[in-house]
Order: sequence, then structure tokens, then C-alpha cells
Amino acid sequence: MLNPIREAQLSLQTRRTFLSSVGQFSLGAIALHAMKADALGASSSNDNPLAPRKPHFKAKAKRVIYLHMSGGPPNLDIFDYKPELVKRSAEDCPDSFLKGRTFAFTTGVPKLMGTPRTFKQYGQGGLWMSDAVPNFQKIADEVTIVKAMHTDQFNHAPAELLLFTGHNRQGRPSLGSWATYGLGTENQDLPGFVTMISNGVQPSGGQGCWGSGFIPSVFQGVQCRSKGDPVLFANDPPGMTRDLRRATLDALKDLNQRQQDELGHAETVTRIAQYELAFRMQTSVPEVMDISKEKPATLEAYGAKPGESSFANNCLLARRLVEKGVRFVHLFDWGWDFHGTGPKEDIRGGLTAKMAATDKPVAALINDLKERGLLEDTLIVWGGEFGRTPFREGRTAKSEVLGRDHYPDCFSIMMAGGGVKGGFQFGETDEMGFGGVKDKVHVHDLQATIMHLLGFDHERLTYRFQGRDYRLTDVHGHVVREILA
Amino acid sequence: MPPKAILFLGVFVGALCSAEPINFSRQIRPILSENCIACHGPDEKARKGKLRLDDEQDTKRDRKGDFVVLPGKPDQSELIKRIESTDPDDVMPPPKQHKTIPAAQLALLKEWIKQGAPWGRHWSYEPVARPSVPKNGETNPVDAFLADRQKKEGLTWSAEAPKAILIRRLALDITGLPPTPEEVAKLSGAKHEEIVSAFLAKPAYGEHWARQWLDLARYADSAGYPSDPGREIWAYRDWVVKALNQNQRFDQFVIDQLAGDLLPNPTEDQLIATAFHRNTMTQNEGGTSDEEFRNAAVIDRVNTTYAVFMGTTMACAQCHTHKYDPITITEYFRSYAFLNQSADSDKKDEVPLHEIYPPGVKAQREQWMKDAAVAEAVFKKPNPAWVVGFDEWLTKGPKLTDKPLKTALDAPQDKRTKAQLKLLSDYYVRNISPAAKAERTLADDLKKKIAASKPVTVPIMQDLTGEKRRKTFVQLRGNWQALGDPVDEGVPTHLARWDESFPKNRLGLARWIASHDNPLTARVTMNRLWETVFGVGIVRTSEEFGSQGDLPVHPELLDWLAAEFVESGWDSKKMLSLLLNSRAYRQSSASSAKLNELDPDNRFVARGPRFRPSGEMLRDQALAVSGLLSAKMYGAPVRPIRPNMGLSIAFGGSGDWMTSTGEDRYRRSLYTDTRRSTPYPSFATFDAPNRETCVIRRGRSNTPLQAFVTLNDPVFVETSQALARRLLKEGGTTDETRLRFAYSLCLSREPEANELATLKTLLTKSVAQYKADAALALKMATDPLGPTEKGADVPTLAAWTAVSSVIMNLDEFLMRR
Repeated sequence: MLNPIREAQLSLQTRRTFLSSVGQFSLGAIALHAMKADALGASSSNDNPLAPRKPHFKAKAKRVIYLHMSGGPPNLDIFDYKPELVKRSAEDCPDSFLKGRTFAFTTGVPKLMGTPRTFKQYGQGGLWMSDAVPNFQKIADEVTIVKAMHTDQFNHAPAELLLFTGHNRQGRPSLGSWATYGLGTENQDLPGFVTMISNGVQPSGGQGCWGSGFIPSVFQGVQCRSKGDPVLFANDPPGMTRDLRRATLDALKDLNQRQQDELGHAETVTRIAQYELAFRMQTSVPEVMDISKEKPATLEAYGAKPGESSFANNCLLARRLVEKGVRFVHLFDWGWDFHGTGPKEDIRGGLTAKMAATDKPVAALINDLKERGLLEDTLIVWGGEFGRTPFREGRTAKSEVLGRDHYPDCFSIMMAGGGVKGGFQFGETDEMGFGGVKDKVHVHDLQATIMHLLGFDHERLTYRFQGRDYRLTDVHGHVVREILA
Repeated sequence: MPPKAILFLGVFVGALCSAEPINFSRQIRPILSENCIACHGPDEKARKGKLRLDDEQDTKRDRKGDFVVLPGKPDQSELIKRIESTDPDDVMPPPKQHKTIPAAQLALLKEWIKQGAPWGRHWSYEPVARPSVPKNGETNPVDAFLADRQKKEGLTWSAEAPKAILIRRLALDITGLPPTPEEVAKLSGAKHEEIVSAFLAKPAYGEHWARQWLDLARYADSAGYPSDPGREIWAYRDWVVKALNQNQRFDQFVIDQLAGDLLPNPTEDQLIATAFHRNTMTQNEGGTSDEEFRNAAVIDRVNTTYAVFMGTTMACAQCHTHKYDPITITEYFRSYAFLNQSADSDKKDEVPLHEIYPPGVKAQREQWMKDAAVAEAVFKKPNPAWVVGFDEWLTKGPKLTDKPLKTALDAPQDKRTKAQLKLLSDYYVRNISPAAKAERTLADDLKKKIAASKPVTVPIMQDLTGEKRRKTFVQLRGNWQALGDPVDEGVPTHLARWDESFPKNRLGLARWIASHDNPLTARVTMNRLWETVFGVGIVRTSEEFGSQGDLPVHPELLDWLAAEFVESGWDSKKMLSLLLNSRAYRQSSASSAKLNELDPDNRFVARGPRFRPSGEMLRDQALAVSGLLSAKMYGAPVRPIRPNMGLSIAFGGSGDWMTSTGEDRYRRSLYTDTRRSTPYPSFATFDAPNRETCVIRRGRSNTPLQAFVTLNDPVFVETSQALARRLLKEGGTTDETRLRFAYSLCLSREPEANELATLKTLLTKSVAQYKADAALALKMATDPLGPTEKGADVPTLAAWTAVSSVIMNLDEFLMRR
């Protein structure tokens, strides 16, 4: 692939050159080149693939914080209240729900299981929430709950890849990389797309969840950490001082400039610039990743503790990052696979404990963004890759622990800020929680909606690869206009 | 206007001005393909208005007095009218497609119709016809074609690069390693052709070129998907290195990998070669369907086969008939049928496996196993003498880790069951009893021998036979559970002729691909070779030779190379030599304002090639110049230094690893343990794919994160430290001799006076800093390389480490000139 920066410099061109050159277009595709450039709005004169760009139309959201709960939170014990299911708890699951279906860990006839949790309605919109989420209850007026989400996949990895890349197998660009491909980023001293992982395990979908697939790798998510190097290899080696680092880079710049004078390769110019940017990032990244200077009240609100790598810390870091102009922050939290194989996966105590470390920082994040005036143009999404069954998981049915199996037909997600309604619940599932009956939203629709909020027609933000124009939503997706503010 | 567009329009406008005959395949088909074919093409279901613009007859037929294209009469051709229409209901392409045909292309369409609308097949499906070499005084045919083209573009050759630079360029391009100063000295008197041959003869050639092939083969040392367990398949990697070094005929290289097992009396190497298609991922996540993921593996094999060997994107036809190329969904699953008989079925044990033993070991091991069975059986027969001391042993409370044993031992004597007592006494006899010592020694010895002679295994292809053979059906909309009509094995014959003598199995598919009649295989392979040597393919989209791909910038040259390749007996080294010996290759890589403007990607090759190499090669190069590189070849994957991320793989173990010790820490990057879920970070930063699926062409990004790698990654810090020690030891006694030595090692040239001055200034500053802070100096000189020699001048070493790091971050080091 061409180096877009280099080509841009060589041709002294506008962003149009970049947009056409990063794509692997056929030579016969001039019309398409022009269209793409036009489709992405007015050109700005710059030579950096991550420079900020205007979307197709005026965006409601300028940035996204996606909070992913790896494993699939139990929707029926959090947002989707099913009193009829509670009534029929412990009955055999009706055959009509099982016929011709496969579940990950359940065979035979499982027992229905109503939620053991207490549900009430909260906020002006009367949003149903369980006692598992005391802090979500307090922000009910800020959020939309989408209750009839559905997906095509019932195993973790394919479901996560479908959700984040539009396709259930590896190899496609991720949501965050599409966003940075389309919009660039506001702060050139920080990565445009940051991911962080809590609870020690990377998501099942792997690094493909934030990979760039076949689009240039500058758009892939950069994994940041609150322990060790904040970005891989960003720390100078032991024994290197900042002063000496500067001196080495000065020498390097000097020698590389000579090389550029002799050989006339613009890529050398780019390399010089990238070393300088790296030097600046060595200051800007640790600075933004250091939460120790946050006010005690703020740390307390999130439940964050400097030095840890908790989900709470990552929520606070997400705010710090978007505040500094990062375009897309994707958090992955492990531990939501509530099968019931151990006490941590029990929808009673286990869920209470997991949520105690989750709903507080999420609520704090939304409040914090609101106070800072950032909520209105920052989109927050909270959810998993699928839902969980209205029946007890087969393997664990005889144990003390209550768990549910994977379930793709319906699940709930929560959205806030960035052009989404507050105090709103959208869509309905049937009285037993087996499927959506009203206003169903497929994961491709969610993707289309996120792209819409960022100012893109999801059908027009495309990238040419192997002779085909690819997009995040594959050949699907409808914007869910009902939830737009 | 983008530079590519300038080049492309150049073709158009040139054609129009001079009214040269229009070439349908190169000038018209791409316009139709880009704008029209998705709705007016091969896909029946998507077809609108009963019109096929990929079909000459249908395009030109009489439609009740109307004509889409009426040869000679653009004004009466509906094609032109519709493009020019301003009525949103009539205009083509329809507004919702967001496509517009620019005026220059419209003019070209009109001129084409005016010239009688001549038709033609897509260029890459036409047979390869060996073009005659232009006679313009160039001796190398490659140069002859290029010189003609340069003349048309108003360009001309650059001067030849200095010899030492060429030696370095050849060493890196052929072996992936820089030349040693001794090699430069030795070869500086040799002819260019001799230098090429010298490097091609080195085993490092196979190691370097294997890396690229392994991207295509999606080779990894793990099975993929979330749990990503390790997979023993490195014998295949070693086979690729050997096959390349032996310069195996490329057609045989293809056949062995696709169907070596189906050849008569296959050799062990031919079986190992079939692991090419066992590099598909295996899904071990709980609750997943083996059949679903077996199917996914077969799909991957179909797509990879066509992508790697024929530059054809089959994936589109998996769900629906291809919208652009003449491949139907039925044809897709006929190809699938070839690959659907492999016995593997997404199982954790990866069977079928081939076991590899050193010569003689297999029979010996089988004997040991028989002996061991006998030796173990002895203990099953009760022998009262052996239980002497058993009760005493029990009362001593021995430490037992096995759970049933421990339970038995911990049970109170009166509560111990008979079975538990037997368990304990059996254990005593087998492991403790002094009386059974001789028998025990014999059995244990055999056990050890068997363990030590465990074979290396490699997953291979092996077709099912008889009743076990699978039936293949069209899968509707690409859904493995929605089956349509049954299909038998067959290839898309539009792409290449099927010879009835080919067997109707995987071997037949392989023979079809490796046939000299196949117009794609040789073209695709030569294009990839060109891309590797010159940076950009003659067809830029090396992964796509179908109608949606780019057109070749030198069509005659590509066809000449393809024809020559086949006629040479598919001789890869010969074709590589041809390119490396060309005048084009030998030019100085210096560019100019004019070249940058007219040909920024150097596609007309009016200067020498220059581009950034892979991350693997950068690490190898750093190891080589620092003297750390191990020359050891082959074997199980190794684990060089990698930062710990403290993360686990979903449903798997830790993503971190223990660094290999000894020379395994410094092996060529080719041997690095390739984990799909946790790719080696520095390689990934330099655009290495994660090997989940076949990647034909890597990106070549240039980012600040790459600067972090070559400045701060412990691997590169360590090589700077080692280089510093080497410079002080071998580089003479003055700063200047040491800097000169560093330049000869790293850049194969002498430094200029001002370069020396810059580095001396840095050195002076660094020495001062490290002399003032001994602790700092110690870290800089030893972490992670380890303690210095006794009596070493640590502050000076630390300062040289900083200087070495600068030299190893020079643009010239990272991107050979």
C-alpha cells in the first residue's frame, strides 16, 4: 500500500489525494475517487491520515465511548422485566422455543427461570431497572435503553466480531477504525482510537475487535494501559533521560534531513515528523493516563484508584481521553458470561458484585461528561455481544448457582449522550423474553445508527478492497431514527 | 487531481487525441465494471432491465428497435443517452448508487462506440501470449520493455548506484540480512550477476522469502479463535524454507502444497507440504459446532486457494453469483467440493497428523513401546515379596499429589475401602518397593526413552474414502445449514480450461492451477515477484486480478515475464535473478522533484526501488549488525523478548510468555512463535498480519508507534547495547574509527564528515551525562543485555549505546537505499 502521507506530500495535494490513495481503487475508478472525496465533505489542506475531517453531514456526536461487557450481561436481570416469566419459573421450557435450535451449553428441556431480582421503574420515562443497578437508576433520565436488540451469533467470538466489525469472522475493520478513518482525530499528540481492557482478559473476539482489517493500520485501536507503558514501548529505556532522548532525536533529525536532501524521498520527511510526534506523545500519553491528579471527589465518584487497572479507572481515563480530543475510546471488561458455573456467575450475588464495580463508574462517567458539557456530543454505549436465555443453563441446572446460557434473539443495550434521547426505552420483547416483538434492532442497525450520529451515511463510508467497496454494515443496517434526540 | 488519476487519464486522453484504436479490456471494461456491472452483470438475481453489460451479444442486441450500444452510432446508443440524461428516473448510474461517470470517461465511451464498439475478454483471462521484446538496445528484456514505456512518459534511467550500496541492497532483498563488511569487501570486485548468485546461494534466502509465503499460507503456531491454543505445525514452515532454497519448480511447489498427499507414493516432504491448508483456524470455544467451523475452514481454503494462486476473489460468490466476474455460486461450491473431502473436522487434536521421526527412530520407538507394555504388565501380577515394607510406608504418611491416591491415604485405616487399599499397594509396588527395583528401573527407562523420542507432528490433508466421503451442496446465501442442489467437483472454466485428463479431486484442482494453460497463475506469481522487488506490482492490486482489480501498468512486460516463467520450467530463482540483474534494479534510488511529481510510486522505474521493509526484517537486521543474531535454522518456534501485557486470552491461558534462553532469544524473526490472538507486538506495529486469514499484500504504514519500537522496544535497546560493545571491541581505538566501523556494519558505506561531526557531538554529550551518573550508565549499558565484561568502561558503553540507537534509527537503516 502507498503511504498516504508520503503521497500527499509528494503531490502537494489536499485530503482528496489521501482519501483516494489509501483505498485500493482500481484505475478505472476515477468517478468513485471524486465521489468519495466529495462524499466526505469539504477538503482541508493537510497531509495526515489522522487529521480531523468533516463527515457527510452535521454530526450529533463528535466522539464515542463504547463500554463493552465481554460475555453477555443477563438482560432479563437488568433491564428487561418479565413478570410472566417469573410466574412460570421452574416450568419446563416450552418446546416451541427450543425446536430446531442449538444453544451453547444447553441440551434437552431446560427449566424456565424468572428473574430473582426486584424491578422498578425509574425516571420520567419510567425505565425498568433491577436492583442490580442502583447507580443506573439515578441516571435513568440520561439514557435510552434499547430492549429488542438481536444478533446472528450465539458464541462469544463471532458475536463480538459481528458487533464490532460487521462480520462474524476476522479480517474486517472495526467500528472504531471506521470512525477514525472517516473523521480523523482532534489531537495529533494522542492516538485517535484507544482501547483499554479490564479484569485481565482480552475479549473473545480478540484484537480484531479494534483492528483495522484491510484499511490502513494507522486507523487501528491503540491499546493503552494504566500500568506499565501507557502505550506499548512509549517509555524510554532504563538509563535514557529526557534530555538525552532530545539530543538523540536532534542528531537523528539532522542525519535524516541530510538523507532527505540527498535522496529526495518524502517518506523521509514523514519519518522525521513521526519521531517528533513520538517524542511529544511520550509526554502527552503518560500525562493523560495519570489519574493521580484528579480530585479525590472525582476518584471517589468513579471508584477509581490510581495504580490499578480496573474498569472504574478505565472509565475515568475514557473521560480524560475524549476531553483531550481522542475520537473513539473502546473499553472491554471481562467477566459477564453468567452461565452459573461458579458464584461469580450467579445472577444474584455474582451480578450484584459485578455491577457494583460497573454501574457506579458508568454513571459517574455520564454525570462527569454532563458537568463538563461533553455529554451532548459524546456518545456512550453500554452492553454485551448477545443476551442470555430465559431458562436456566443446562450444565449448571443442578447446582446452587443460577445461570443463563448465551442467547442471540434479544438483549438490551444502554446508550447516552451524543444525540440520543434521555429517559427513553425502545423496543419490546415478548412476555417470556424469548424474542423481540416490537421495534427490533439488529447489531447492523446499531452500527448504522452510531455512524449516523457521527455524521455518516453508513452506506457511503466505504473502502475498496479486493475489488469491492466494503462498509461496516456489510449490506445491511437501518438507522434507528426513533432513538435520536 | 490525484497522481494516479493523472496517469490513468493520460491513457484516455492520449487515446482520444491520437484517435488510436480503443482497447476494450483496458479502457472500456473498467468503466462498465465500476459503474454498471453490479446491476447489469453476471448475477442473475441482481440483474436489472434484463441487460448484461458483461456480455457483448446482450449489450448489442436489438431491443425492439432500441440499442444499448449501436456500433458506430454513439448518439443512438441508449448507454450514452442514459449517462447524459438529467432525468433522475432515467439517468445511469441511478442517483442512489452515488456514482457519476466523469466527462473524460463518457468521451471515451462515445469514441469506443464510434470505432465500432469492439469487444474483448477481461485481460487476465486471456491466454498468456509471449510478446516480442522491444528492440531498443537494452539487453535485459525487462529493461527493454521499461525503456520504451519511460520514453513515452518523458522519463529516462537514473545512474547506477554505487557498488557498495548495491551489495547492501542485494543482500537485504535476497537474504533479508545486511552484508557483513567482509562480504562487501570481497564482492566489491565482482560482477553484479556474481553478487546476485552469491546471495541467492545462501540459506538465508529461503528464510527471507519464506516469510512472505507464510503470510499467504496464513501460517501460525496457534490454532486461532478465542482460546488460541498452540499448534505444532512448524515442520511446514521449515519445508517452505527448504523448498525455496532448493529452488523447487513453482508448479511442483503448488501441487505439493495443495495435493501432495494424493500424488503416487508421496514423500514425507510432500505430506508436510499439504499443511499449507491445515493452517486454517480450529475453534475450541465451548459450545461451538465442529461442523460449522469445519465448514468455515473449507471456505477459507477455497478463498485462499484462488486468492494466492490466481488473484481471484472467490469470497463474493460464496453467498451469491459474483457481481463482477464470471463465477457463479454453483461454481463456488463445485470448487468447495474439491476441498470438502479432507478428514480434518475442527477437532482439538488437529487430526489427521503426520508424525516425523529422525531416520530409524520410528521402528526403535515402536519396539520400546512393546517392551514397555511387557515391563508394565509385570507389576500387575501379585508378588508377595514386593509388598514388603508397604505398611510401614503407609504409616510414614508419604506425600502424594494424585487426588484418588491422596484420598485413599488420608482415609482412616478402618474406613479405607478394598479398592483404595489396592490403589495404594499398586502405587507402592510400582514406585517405592525396594524389592521391585530392577523391574522398576527397566520400565522407567523405557518410559523415558519413549518420551524422549516423541515425534514432531504436523497436521496434513488426507481425503476421506468410501462411505465416509462427504456430499457437497450449494449453500444458500453462504449459510452452511441452508443447502441447495448437490454439486460435484469442478472449476470455473471461464478462468481457465479444464483438461479432462486431470483427476476429479484436489490433485486435479492443483494441476489445473499449476497448468501452463492457466492464464492467471504465472501472471499473479510474477506480479507478486515484481511487487516484492520494486515495491508496487505491475498490477497494483496484487490480490485482485478480476475485473474490479487495477489494470497492469506494463501489460506486455507482465505477459513476457509470465511466459518466460513457464518456459523456464517455473524457475523462481531465475526470474528473481532476471529482475535483480536489470538496469532498472541497479539504478540509484535517489528521486527528484520531477520524478516525485510524475511517478511518485516509481511504477515506470526511472529510479531504483526503495521502500520500508517488514518489522521482521528490521529486527533481523538489528540483530545481525549487533552480532547477536543466531545462525541456527529450523525447529520449534522460539520466544524472543516481548513485553508482558498481563492479559489472558479468552478461555485460554496467559497471553504472555517466558523468553527463550540462549541463542533462541536471538533467532531470525521467522522462527518467532506466531500467536494469532497475541501477535508479536513490534511486527504488528510494522503491519504484519495476525495470520488469521491469508493476506496477499501488507500495508506499509509510517507511524509514531514505529518510532517507539525501534527506539524503546527492549529488543532494539538490547541490539544497541550489543552494537556498542562490538564497536568498542572491534572498531579500533578512536571515536572516529568506531563510527566508521558502525557505518560499515549498518550502512555499508563510509560516513561523511558532517555525519561524523553530528554523531561525535552526541557522543560527547552522552559520555558527559553517563560519567556524571554511574547508576544511569549501568542501566543504559546492561538492561536487558546483561552485565558487561569485567573492567569495562560502563559510561562509555552507555554513551555508545545511545549513539548506536541513533544509527539504527536512521532512515537509511530502516529503508535501505
